[in-house]
Amino acid sequence: MIEEADFKCLRCGHEFKAPYEKGKIEERFCPKCRSNSVRHIKKKL
Amino acid sequence: MMDVGRHPRIKLLTYSEIEEISGYIGNFRIKIRRKARYVDENECTACDECVEVCPVIVPKEHQMGLASRKAIYIPFPQAVPSAHLIDIEACLGFDPIACSKCAEKCDKNCINYDDKDKIIEFDVGSIIVATGMDVYDPTEFDEYGYTRFENVLTSMEFEILTGPGGVTKGELIRPTDRKVPKSIGFIQCVGSRCEKRGNPYCSNVCCMNTIKDTLLLKEYYHDIECKVFYVDIRASGKGFEDFYRRSKGLGVKYIRGIPGDIREDPKTKNLILTVENTSKGSIEEHELEMIVLSVGLVPRYDSDVIQKLLTLSTTSDGFLMEVHPKLTPIDAPTSGVFFAGCCEAPKDIKDSVTQASGAAARALTILSQDKVKIEAVTSIIDEDKCTSCGICADVCPYGAIIVDKKAKIPAKVIEAACKGCGTCAAECKFDAIRMRHFSDEQIMAQLEAILEENPEEKIVVFACNWCSYPGADLVGISRMQYPVSPRIVRTMCSGRVDEKFILHAFELGAPIVLVTGCHPVDCHYIDAQQWAQRRVERLWDKLERKGIRPERLQLEWISASEVGKFVKTMEELEEMRKKVTREEIEETKRILSKIKK
Ligand code: SF4
Ligand code: SF4
Ligand SMILES: [Zn+2]
Repeated sequence: MIEEADFKCLRCGHEFKAPYEKGKIEERFCPKCRSNSVRHIKKKL
Repeated sequence: MMDVGRHPRIKLLTYSEIEEISGYIGNFRIKIRRKARYVDENECTACDECVEVCPVIVPKEHQMGLASRKAIYIPFPQAVPSAHLIDIEACLGFDPIACSKCAEKCDKNCINYDDKDKIIEFDVGSIIVATGMDVYDPTEFDEYGYTRFENVLTSMEFEILTGPGGVTKGELIRPTDRKVPKSIGFIQCVGSRCEKRGNPYCSNVCCMNTIKDTLLLKEYYHDIECKVFYVDIRASGKGFEDFYRRSKGLGVKYIRGIPGDIREDPKTKNLILTVENTSKGSIEEHELEMIVLSVGLVPRYDSDVIQKLLTLSTTSDGFLMEVHPKLTPIDAPTSGVFFAGCCEAPKDIKDSVTQASGAAARALTILSQDKVKIEAVTSIIDEDKCTSCGICADVCPYGAIIVDKKAKIPAKVIEAACKGCGTCAAECKFDAIRMRHFSDEQIMAQLEAILEENPEEKIVVFACNWCSYPGADLVGISRMQYPVSPRIVRTMCSGRVDEKFILHAFELGAPIVLVTGCHPVDCHYIDAQQWAQRRVERLWDKLERKGIRPERLQLEWISASEVGKFVKTMEELEEMRKKVTREEIEETKRILSKIKK
């Protein structure tokens, strides 16, 4: 299921929301610095 | 087709389906189901007497239901062999016999109601996939009334209607009154180049197909009025622009704009379309007697069958993916398999013939040799360490590993199929896979040499052989400058970068580690790159849990031509490196050595 998720750029620190589908691997990039070092921030339960 | 059927060295198996393909380049074994025809194809002379007596009438698939056929039939006039077959689903049945009119009529006793499907197997050295495509179904474009108005046809139906083997033997008639239409409109790009409906790609053939249709119409029906509604005309092949000009010269009107809707005059059954003419900036209405929707090409509805049989991949548009779109456009990622025609991408007849000739030549390069040469970089299984978990087989993009999980039989690499990406070695949790070249020992030794002195001044960069490493090379060739701290470790694929390499680099004092490789669409090992991304994402979590800043592990997809991106990345990482303190490095070392213990 596609949902909005939180991401953090590990290059510039920018945090943003983007569509996310569990298990799907796709090229992600930071909208601010264009780096691919983009980490999905999992929700803490 | 006839020539192929008669050729002494070609075995043509029609009305057959592939059930299984095993083996590898030079040694494929194919299992084929030859479907029961219920008619002896060697004896049948296609006299058609059986057809005349058959009482069952069904729509004819080959003519998209515009014509009908009997339950005993020949699929299309040029079919090879030229013999009838019985459509068992449509036949009134012969178990028990309900009709048997065809059998009674056939003097040669060709009908055999006891015929059964046959399974045959044989070996081949290479395989050419030429499974073709389907055409787009425009039903979802409801505003064009394809399902409501009889005089709205698709370009495929128009072809069937006007082709010499068609229902009207080439005579153009409009469906509602069976008269030659006085005006025809063609709407381009139906189902193509649209993100919201249909497909985002250009179907390549529709513009030229419409131009060809208008030329034929003008040749046979001089007074017919033809209008083409288009976004832009793509006439980029040899002689295509001349074709386009000829069409315009014959009076075909090209109107830049895609119609918004089509209405039908209930009395005349003429069609009225509204369009914004973007060249003039005006809203126009055009009344036409017939409309042809120039529908795009789509992957075959069952292309996933061949995809699974041969462990192939598809590009985002659903067509089968070649090894490399520019360098090896004919080769499938599975060695010994080649593509011809639209299974790989929409293409016209000329391009299909060109690709098919290339595919035949590529196949011959294998068949003409006793042995094939493969790259020396392959993986080797250590059977003593293998637990038969099957992970390697799951991640191998080429299906080059066989594991019997149930029987606990250790993994086995089919060396002829292995391309040496190293993903299996990086994913095996039991260290049971060794690579020939780019071995663990070699990579670890490189890391130790790089980080032997002043590790805090170095950035460890794992770069793949095909994109990022040549990218770095091009930076040098282009005499561009970047900081001196990065030290490159080459691997065949980013998928080879094992978690232990990254952790070892941190353990040896590396302040920053970068994993870089091809963008996903460029991966030279189908999708092995994705395993690098998954691994890095997993490691970010792991590092954080251990108290190591995940930011110190970086990821970047850099193609061979992205010199600017390479330089920018190195400059940014250099800034990050400067911020990693000696204390932080020492703490990392301490954490990692503690985990090891
Ligand atoms: S991943 Fe390793 S342990 Fe698992 S089957 Fe493959 S070689 Fe054996
Ligand atoms: S090295 Fe790559 S291609 Fe070879 S077996 Fe392992 S995963 Fe498959
Ligand atoms: Zn960023």
